[in-house]
Amino acid sequence: MADGFRLRVCFRKVGRLRYLSHLETVRACERAARRAALPYAVSQGFTPRMRVAFGPALPVGYAGEREWYDLWLTQFVPASGVLNALKDATVADLAPLECAYVAPKEPSLAASLTIARYDVRVKGGIPPEELERSLAALMKTGTFAVEHKGKQKVFDLADALPKEPEVTVVQGATIVRMTVRMGERGSLRPDVFVAAATDAALDVTRTDLLIEDEGAWRRPL
Amino acid sequence: MRDLWPDVERLLARIERPVRYIDREWGAVHSSDTDYRVGLVYPDAYEVGMANQALQILAARLRLLDGVSVERAFVPWVDMTREMRIASVPLFTLESCAPLKECDLVGITLPYELTYTNILEVLDLAGIPLRAAARGDGDPLVVGGGPCAHNPEPVAPFFDAVLIGDGEEAALEIVEAHRRVRDAGGDRAAVLSALARIDGVYVPSLYEPDDRGVLVPSGGAPPVVTRRVLADLDTVGVPICPVVPYADVVHDRTTIEVLRGCARGCRFCQAGMVYRPVRERSADGIVRDAVESLRCTGYEEISLTSLSTSDHSQIDEVLRRLTRRLEGSGVAISVPSMRVDAFTLSLARLLGEGRRTGLTFAPEAGSQRLRDVINKNVTEDEVVATVSEAFSAGWRRVKLYFMLGLPTETDEDMVAIADLVGRVFRTAREATPPAERGGIRVAVSVSTFVPKAHTPFQWEGQLPQAEVRRRQAILRDAMPRRGVELSWHDASVSLLEAVLARGDRAVADVIEAAWRGGSVFDAWTEHFSLQRWLDAFDATGIDAAARATTALAPGDPLPWSHIGSGLTERFLAAERDRAYAGVTTPDCTLEDCTGCGVCPDLGVDNVLAGGGRRG
Repeated sequence: MADGFRLRVCFRKVGRLRYLSHLETVRACERAARRAALPYAVSQGFTPRMRVAFGPALPVGYAGEREWYDLWLTQFVPASGVLNALKDATVADLAPLECAYVAPKEPSLAASLTIARYDVRVKGGIPPEELERSLAALMKTGTFAVEHKGKQKVFDLADALPKEPEVTVVQGATIVRMTVRMGERGSLRPDVFVAAATDAALDVTRTDLLIEDEGAWRRPL
Repeated sequence: MRDLWPDVERLLARIERPVRYIDREWGAVHSSDTDYRVGLVYPDAYEVGMANQALQILAARLRLLDGVSVERAFVPWVDMTREMRIASVPLFTLESCAPLKECDLVGITLPYELTYTNILEVLDLAGIPLRAAARGDGDPLVVGGGPCAHNPEPVAPFFDAVLIGDGEEAALEIVEAHRRVRDAGGDRAAVLSALARIDGVYVPSLYEPDDRGVLVPSGGAPPVVTRRVLADLDTVGVPICPVVPYADVVHDRTTIEVLRGCARGCRFCQAGMVYRPVRERSADGIVRDAVESLRCTGYEEISLTSLSTSDHSQIDEVLRRLTRRLEGSGVAISVPSMRVDAFTLSLARLLGEGRRTGLTFAPEAGSQRLRDVINKNVTEDEVVATVSEAFSAGWRRVKLYFMLGLPTETDEDMVAIADLVGRVFRTAREATPPAERGGIRVAVSVSTFVPKAHTPFQWEGQLPQAEVRRRQAILRDAMPRRGVELSWHDASVSLLEAVLARGDRAVADVIEAAWRGGSVFDAWTEHFSLQRWLDAFDATGIDAAARATTALAPGDPLPWSHIGSGLTERFLAAERDRAYAGVTTPDCTLEDCTGCGVCPDLGVDNVLAGGGRRG
């Protein structure tokens, strides 16, 4: 298929829609694009599909404030027009926030978005200072082991968490701010890490996704 | 109205697929400031219920009434019900996340017999007394409707009222009558008495059996409750903007009903009897609504639904126009319920433009003799010619449905099924280029005949289980192996279906006992337990096998004698005689009136898009 016009869309997945799976999110965004009557490109083949490519998946239960997908269009439509049409065709908790065209040769979102920022809200009575000390102690060990489907996976914390987790209190709620580097062989789940320091219930929001480029971090637009 | 969301959300981390419970889909309607709330319940999981068109139709219709809000509820999956019971969270409606019990009216669909225990699960989770007799003025009115309403007796004690037939108009009348009596300060008895005066509404508590077991009315209720029929589908709008689920649901696509009713007259088929007459929508209306609905929902597939879509007088025109409108959009058109003899190459090509799914045909019987008995007016040559056309046009899979245990069936009829399947497979091979022959699949699904109310076979007994197994063995031995995937509908499930489908009020005790024993989601193979049902039959002293296999005769009192489908008993009995004589009866949309009684009785007529007759 010819390159067409590659539109990069930033959207949020918040409120109750944090409970959507990645596949459900993908389908919902595709349907919004159809409702918006965008001139979307369709793949060739036996079962034609909309040409769209998403950034890294968000687990069920996580909210996302700045999530991404690329959508290929067959005609140029001003980005502001696309944004308005998409907004009108999308429920508020999944609203598009900004969009712009990117070069057809730009690396894929899934491959280039390797830095994720999270807010882990701690829904319990652990004092922030105590949580801070526990997390610092975890960091000091240098590695973090995770059991997944019977297999153990050991993360090198200097690589997996390029910034020290930071505990802040916002309007009475304790929040752990984390920055996670996502590798090809999976990434450390922020709630799993924080759960090693507290039994309290946790609420995770991915607040930003960044491209790491020769040591510098930047947004995809 | 209590908002249960904080309580519900606390449970979501512990259960699978929380998307079932979160609402907030595109198209979900949230109303506030209404003085009458309707909760519409489909008694199965969200993924199944969201595929139900009737729910969306009724919701759209009821919202036409001022001050009425309509919300959805489904049966939470077993992991969620466990958590809800532990946390004392009652069943809630999706839109407002308020207790279902706080609705003024709870409407529950009766889609098929195996959902009956789910109805009790819904009522119990909601905190509504299971039996209508135990409900008070603080409880919602519980109203049923749908296919199984045509023999409501097995579930009658659980419902305050049951609507027989089409709901587009009657549902509105029910709500208005209830609201009127309620606002005038009338009690529950006054409400029920008002409902019993609405055409098509059956109020079980107003009927008591006489010494022959025939239900006779009291309190001004009619001796026979006659089915409601919407005379012309084009006079009411269809839901263009239904709720678009996030979850991967059954039939995840938008649907436009293109016609209702079927006059082919298959003698085992309840739907073909109780949805008469045939009412086709106009080609213009179908195309307009289909395009609008795709625009409003953003779905990638549209389904043109009915009991037999390929029978529509203008189906070629509809598909041609729709295909043209959807060109290049990647949107697929699907046509379920395709008939062997209505499948044409032009139809096949039109569908092939979008996406090609498997074809499904239902010859039902293997021999021409038996197909004549059941009035399945299709010949083996037609089946073979259709398969040849379809495979030449690029199809590689076909699914064939058959029934076992039909009246007059012999061992030769079993072998005839295998022979037909063999011929279908050879034909498919010949029509397929050699390089692609490895992909040919002929799926064969065989179910056991279940006699249904309001059909010419309503008096028939079901085969005893041992005989079912013997005939299955004959069929299995005779069936070709290569390229054929044979599957069976569990015969013990069919036995249960037979007891429930022809059951009387006593069967309600069995259903309640089965539910109390843990039966729920019986239509899900992994949840069905025959033993729990056998225990329930034992506990209530009802002999399931005897009930399923008992043959009745015309003139015998039937549990559904007080439900009028419009078909006369004389017609059904005559059709039964013709079946035993091997004489077929034509389709009244193609030939003369067959005298079933529906049109004169209900004051309606076939409505054909092209006018006059089909063909």
